[in-house]
Amino acid sequence: MKKSSIIGLVVIAIAIAVIIGLYSNASSYGSFADAKKASGELHVIGYLDKQKELYYDAAKDANYFSFYMKDKKGEECKVVFPGTKPQDFERSEQIVLVGEMVNGEFHASHIQMKCPSKYTQDKVDITEASAKKADI
Amino acid sequence: MDTAFKGEHLFPGQLGQFFIVLSFGSALLAAISYYFATTDKTGLNNSWRRLGRIAYITNLASVVGIGVSLFYIIFNHLFEYHYAWEHSSKSLPVYYIISSYWEGQEGSFWLWCFWQGVLGNILIWRAKSWESPVMTVISLSQALLASMLLGIEIFGSRIGSSPFILLREAIDLRAQAPIFASRPDMYHNYLSYITDGNGLNPLLQNYWMVIHPPTLFLGFASMVVPFAYAIAGLWQKRYKEWVQPAISYALFAVMVLGTGVIMGSFWAYESLNFGGFWAWDPVENAALIPWLTLIGGVHVMIVYKNTGHSYFTATFLVLISFVLVLYASFLTRSGVLGDTSVHAFTDLGMFWHLVTDVAVFFVIAVVLVIIRWKELPIDKKEEETYSREFWMFVGAVFLALSCLQLVIVTSIPVWNKMFGTNIAPPNNPVTLYNVFQAAFAVVVALLAGVTQFLKYKKTDSGKFYITGAVYLALAVLITALVVYVSGIYRLRIVFSLTMLAAIYMVLSNIKVLTDAFKGKIKLAGSAVAHIGFALILVGAVIAAGTSKVVSINNTGEQYSAEFAKRNDPKENIMLYKNTPIKMGDYVVTYIGDSIAMPNHYFKVDYKRMDASGKVVEEFMLKPNSQANRKMGLVSSPDTKHYLLHDLYTHVTMAPIKFDDDPQNDDAHSEAEDDKNYDPPISHDIAIGDTIRYREGYIVLEGLNKNAHVENIQLAKNDIAVGAQLKIVTNGRAFTAEPVYMIKNGSMFDFSRKIDDAGLKLRFTKIDPKAGKMTIMVYQQPENRRPYIVMKAIEFPYINFFWSGTIIMVIGFVLSIRRRNKELKTVPAAPQTHKISKRPSPQQVG
Repeated sequence: MKKSSIIGLVVIAIAIAVIIGLYSNASSYGSFADAKKASGELHVIGYLDKQKELYYDAAKDANYFSFYMKDKKGEECKVVFPGTKPQDFERSEQIVLVGEMVNGEFHASHIQMKCPSKYTQDKVDITEASAKKADI
Repeated sequence: MDTAFKGEHLFPGQLGQFFIVLSFGSALLAAISYYFATTDKTGLNNSWRRLGRIAYITNLASVVGIGVSLFYIIFNHLFEYHYAWEHSSKSLPVYYIISSYWEGQEGSFWLWCFWQGVLGNILIWRAKSWESPVMTVISLSQALLASMLLGIEIFGSRIGSSPFILLREAIDLRAQAPIFASRPDMYHNYLSYITDGNGLNPLLQNYWMVIHPPTLFLGFASMVVPFAYAIAGLWQKRYKEWVQPAISYALFAVMVLGTGVIMGSFWAYESLNFGGFWAWDPVENAALIPWLTLIGGVHVMIVYKNTGHSYFTATFLVLISFVLVLYASFLTRSGVLGDTSVHAFTDLGMFWHLVTDVAVFFVIAVVLVIIRWKELPIDKKEEETYSREFWMFVGAVFLALSCLQLVIVTSIPVWNKMFGTNIAPPNNPVTLYNVFQAAFAVVVALLAGVTQFLKYKKTDSGKFYITGAVYLALAVLITALVVYVSGIYRLRIVFSLTMLAAIYMVLSNIKVLTDAFKGKIKLAGSAVAHIGFALILVGAVIAAGTSKVVSINNTGEQYSAEFAKRNDPKENIMLYKNTPIKMGDYVVTYIGDSIAMPNHYFKVDYKRMDASGKVVEEFMLKPNSQANRKMGLVSSPDTKHYLLHDLYTHVTMAPIKFDDDPQNDDAHSEAEDDKNYDPPISHDIAIGDTIRYREGYIVLEGLNKNAHVENIQLAKNDIAVGAQLKIVTNGRAFTAEPVYMIKNGSMFDFSRKIDDAGLKLRFTKIDPKAGKMTIMVYQQPENRRPYIVMKAIEFPYINFFWSGTIIMVIGFVLSIRRRNKELKTVPAAPQTHKISKRPSPQQVG
């Protein structure tokens, strides 16, 4: 066999391995309902329920943070994260969680947030004080 | 619509917008002129070229004009402009105004335009017979870049995004502040309500933000030059010649882009924003992708120059590298990464515009290659197995494959968009990338080692096997030691193999370097660059593979057995002020704060003790946090640098006030203050007695009969007595003197607080008969005491990574000088076949 055909075969073999590697490692997006059925970790996209408590008490456990999130289908679930409360969490617009369901609680191993300051049109600060002052 | 708004400065914006239009127009004119200068057969090509030059120089001047206008606007805080309002604020120091320039997409496009303008002018001066075709390509690229800044509405859709758009045009102020809708007279004066801009993200207020983006964008911009040469070579049928002049530019591009990428890596490492020096975040990958292909490209260009082999591979890799630069900018700027990266730019609605940019250059490259396919000087004869060119070619193929893996995985959101699928990125992308990329690195590094023992054309295989094997044996010995000491053997085997390949690469290139010093000095450049690259691999494998969290925390309330089981050990520890905690080899204590607004520094004392408890090392780290109203708690770590490892301390949570809150809180009443403490405990004691409390003891050392309380004048019959107390807690001693007072027949007492011990002490009664004093001890409950939650991480042997980078850059500089020297010795006449000093009998065509 010619060397160039050997190299060609090796290249094709590696390209296939790369794609298989991706497929076997790729995760999927789902809802909390899907997470209850799934056996492994899953990505869930949703929104923070700002009415309910964000619980973090460093004195009790510096690595326990819990909150409630509504997934895109509207189902709400308690989420537990083994770490500190991420920076600027309250202001997050959308959250992507990676994790799995354990006894009705979603245990997130990774939290990614989208904050309005970065991703949507900013709010202009118009303070009361300056509004009064400049009233002609 | 109101015609006049009070206080707006419209001139700088209009001037800037004029320059934007001028830069777009002049780039387009340059592209057209240079096109005709290349193709004209009527003898007018010199006039066309002159026009092209004038247009391109005008382009650079107008790009500078845009920059000056934008600087004027930001420097003078003209917040009527959206860009200034969004990215800067009045409190921003002058040197960060430069950074706020390229925080947004528009500014970074401008930066790219600027570098491409500068490079184009260098080519006008240096490219000689290549000027017209090469500048046609570069002018076209410049015109497309300038179009990204246009911000003009055409047929109802906005083309590009201008940095000179006004705040009131970008944001509907009347919708946001209803007062403007109801009071049109106030809207007309809206600017007096906009008192300050948004400011620069605290994470970006870093000196790296001043130098990292310019370097990175110079790297991106310079990738267009080898691309333009390759296109010009195909277009003008000067298939062989383009390689020689393009090598220097390609080397320059990989050197600068590589430096820019590693600067970003260093910044990420220093600030821990990405959790380490490399996180395989899509934005990092986007910059690495074109670097990998062009590194492969440079090697096969050299192969082609020396042997006439690998022509197609060289052309392909150079062409694809620039297309990948554009693809990378599409990935990071179009918003397509969406859920997968928080570090990408904000989406500006330019999705199709960015796609067009990629498509234009991709199509040009593909079409030209297809048209010229039959004429390409592709060598039909195969390379010898024992030849350098063959294995360099294989190495370049593997670099391209490693790039392919990065592209495929990073582009998951693109595949979803294209095929309507809903695949999520891997749950553990870092592991996936690490394993694949380490495997590619094994092959590439081994080849970069082996090829040093091979010659171009043909090598004596016996001699090759002997030297190759001797060096391999040596490498195995050293690797065994390194792998054992650093603990890499505990990881996947592929990382040990990477280490072996990298060490082999270092050794064989050291051999070349010593030969270089013996006379073949021109070989020094590549040897040095290779050694640098191999050291980067060594550092990356050890640091990434064996970095560990030191602040392991096994305490904490168990919320559920499941939770505890899954997440052990945990990575954050909590430190109460002045309460030492054992952490790994260290005893750490949070001992205090120092505040330099807006930074809040936490002083963390580290002690390392030997077996007998003697302190062998003590130092203090001051990680800091900013509690920013807009961004939340933004923390920066502090690092203890050792020669062989770095120790990070990073505050992940701390109860601190926002940076715009007033700093003193003494205003509240005594009763209010008591709520901060547990119910007090009274002790009746005599002088010399000791009170024990939860965290130490208190000794009444004596009484001060002449106690003074400020602002209180004592009359003749009044009494003021101070209790001299010594407090010992956690190995530290404090003194306090609460005062008991009788004034005008009434009793008072003045408490004293020892914040560092979390105590408040009162002296409330004297019983002269029994000789007893009543001391009330108020203790702060644990959760009211100042605390920090922190994480400490150790990164070993990271210095290999940084020093490797510096060495690699030195190697690139040496190589560029060598290639430039070669260029001068080669006659500039077209269609020269003798482009190499070596005989090249196998060249075809």
